[in-house]
Amino acid sequence: MSIATGRATAPLAAGTTRKRAGILSRIIAHRTDYLYVLPALIVMLVVIAFPIYYTIELSFFRTPPNLQMRDKIWTGLSNYSTVLNSSVFHEVTIQTIIWTIASTVFAFLLGLGAALALHREFAGRGLLRALLLIPYVISAVAASYVWKWLYHSDFGVIGAISVALGITDEPINFLDNRQTVLASLIVVNIWKEFSFAMVMLMAGLQTVPDQLHRAAQVDGANTWDRFWHVTVPHLKGVSMVTILLLMVANFNSFIIPFVMTGGGPADASHIWITHIYQLAFGRQQWGVASAYAVILFIVMMTFGYFYVKALTRGDETRAGD
Amino acid sequence: MAEVVLKDVVKNYGNVYAVNNVSFTVEHGEFVALVGPSGCGKTTTLNLIAGLIPMSGGDIAIGDRIVNDLDPKDRDIAMVFQNYALYPNKSVFKNLAFPLQMRKLPKEEIARKVNDAAKLLDITHLLDRKPRELSGGQQQRVALGRALVRDPAVFLMDEPLSNLDAKLRVQMRSEIKRFHHNLNATVVYVTHDQLEAVTMADKMAVMNGGLLQQYDSPANVFAHPVNTFVASFVGSPAMSLIPLDVATQGTETSLRSPEEGWELPLSPMNARKANASSNGKVVLGARHSTLKLHRQAVPGAVPGKVYTVEPTGDVTFAQVFISGAVVNISLDPSVVIAPDEKVWVEFDQERMHLFDGQTTMALQAA
Repeated sequence: MSIATGRATAPLAAGTTRKRAGILSRIIAHRTDYLYVLPALIVMLVVIAFPIYYTIELSFFRTPPNLQMRDKIWTGLSNYSTVLNSSVFHEVTIQTIIWTIASTVFAFLLGLGAALALHREFAGRGLLRALLLIPYVISAVAASYVWKWLYHSDFGVIGAISVALGITDEPINFLDNRQTVLASLIVVNIWKEFSFAMVMLMAGLQTVPDQLHRAAQVDGANTWDRFWHVTVPHLKGVSMVTILLLMVANFNSFIIPFVMTGGGPADASHIWITHIYQLAFGRQQWGVASAYAVILFIVMMTFGYFYVKALTRGDETRAGD
Repeated sequence: MAEVVLKDVVKNYGNVYAVNNVSFTVEHGEFVALVGPSGCGKTTTLNLIAGLIPMSGGDIAIGDRIVNDLDPKDRDIAMVFQNYALYPNKSVFKNLAFPLQMRKLPKEEIARKVNDAAKLLDITHLLDRKPRELSGGQQQRVALGRALVRDPAVFLMDEPLSNLDAKLRVQMRSEIKRFHHNLNATVVYVTHDQLEAVTMADKMAVMNGGLLQQYDSPANVFAHPVNTFVASFVGSPAMSLIPLDVATQGTETSLRSPEEGWELPLSPMNARKANASSNGKVVLGARHSTLKLHRQAVPGAVPGKVYTVEPTGDVTFAQVFISGAVVNISLDPSVVIAPDEKVWVEFDQERMHLFDGQTTMALQAA
């Protein structure tokens, strides 16, 4: 047994070292090839690596009284403790999690419903599909302004309709209210994002073989059974990708809260990115904002690592077993 | 088991008739092949029997029930599809169990039936695998198992062998035939391969352009094709067809080549058939094995020119131009013959076919 393992590992180890040496010598042997990609590599370093490095550097400094960052003051890790001990950070984190999960879940479910509805053939399908795509193609800033007016407590259409129908006595104050503001913004975000999920899932639905549905029909499956046993398994892959993309987009949301409320009232609609923006460009706390960004970066990378790992493991078992 | 009756079945999409007034009866335990070229309506007919697409007209009965308005699941049918249509995310066991699960059978009964079916098809060792881990033949067997496990009245099979390679197809062909024999199952089988139909079926329904051309045993379809379409579709190589004119001189009737001028005297029986032609033109049909090749002119033979020679081992096929048509003739492999050689071809008056030059229908002696 031990002999067998010894035999098995020895050539493997030799192989890896040979391969390492091989990469270096290959680079030298193909140096002209690497010369060709060098400009792209330099651009990548400048636009990606340098900002990351500079953010990390700034996170250890404090803004000087003259606001010139060349005179920045070293503070060590105090920016990090400021962020982590701040009650606003905790509040904003919870809001960001609510924002991300609620937006992702409902945008996905709504998109799935729309995709399933549009998958059947009916008169006016093309028109409806085009209409449902409008939120996705419209500018987020423009949409935010429109929704701000729809929600407006004095002139808003939604308030006027609810009063006219007798649902409420007076227009609801959606945005200028700590209790309702986050939910109201999430609704806008869902409206903006569900058509993305719809497009992805519509593409996914087209990969479900028609014959499987027919087979299931003959096997006695009703519409729900067919959805559950035939459609859902086929949508697994595209659903995972869609949810990942939605999550990333929602963690990094900025435009809707920034344009509609600026994070207010009293930080009730701040999410991470708007809060960082406010700290950096509103209060000139570059160091604190950078520390904040670094913390987010770590959180996002950890999250992304595990998600992608789960995603690829699923792929491997699907392809392997 | 039950019989299947189609009466005046129609399926049209606007002006396009995919299935046009098709009627036939599949008896208990009979194996019927629906055969025809692509787009002839055979798969549509099968889907109509299954209830997967709505009919435009006519009636379909399975057993003693009219099933026109019943859902596929209520028709007591099982179907085997061209691409097997196995559920890719389910194991073989779960694939077989699915139709029983949908009928809400108790767990123990499902396990028993699945194991029985698996044993019958020799796939017990595959029950834990996923479909993609199986070979084409194994997947085909699982698809058969999923149909079998429910003990349906009728098996519907939609080109189940067309995705297999040639060797496996021949093997699965005999397995399906055995399967039919063992279960005494009623089977409706769609194929575009006339050889499959001829070798497997008790009866074959030859379709073309949405119309049922002929419904009979393979032997009868082979021996008495009702029209030139059936004649040229069934048999390999196909029956050779030569368009000719009818020439009558006194009491003698013969066929004349409009291009080459030669005449072929007919036997009294064939003369009566030829004289029944509606426009004085006939299509002469002959199978390769009924023709004799001569190097010199002999009575009853017509001239031709060799086009190609195809040796296949135990028989050699020669293609000969006769009056502008290509005629297949089978020869003993020892016969040496070269392209462009001038030859004479003798017809067997007993086994030649005469079709109407206009309607293409087989001519009957008046």
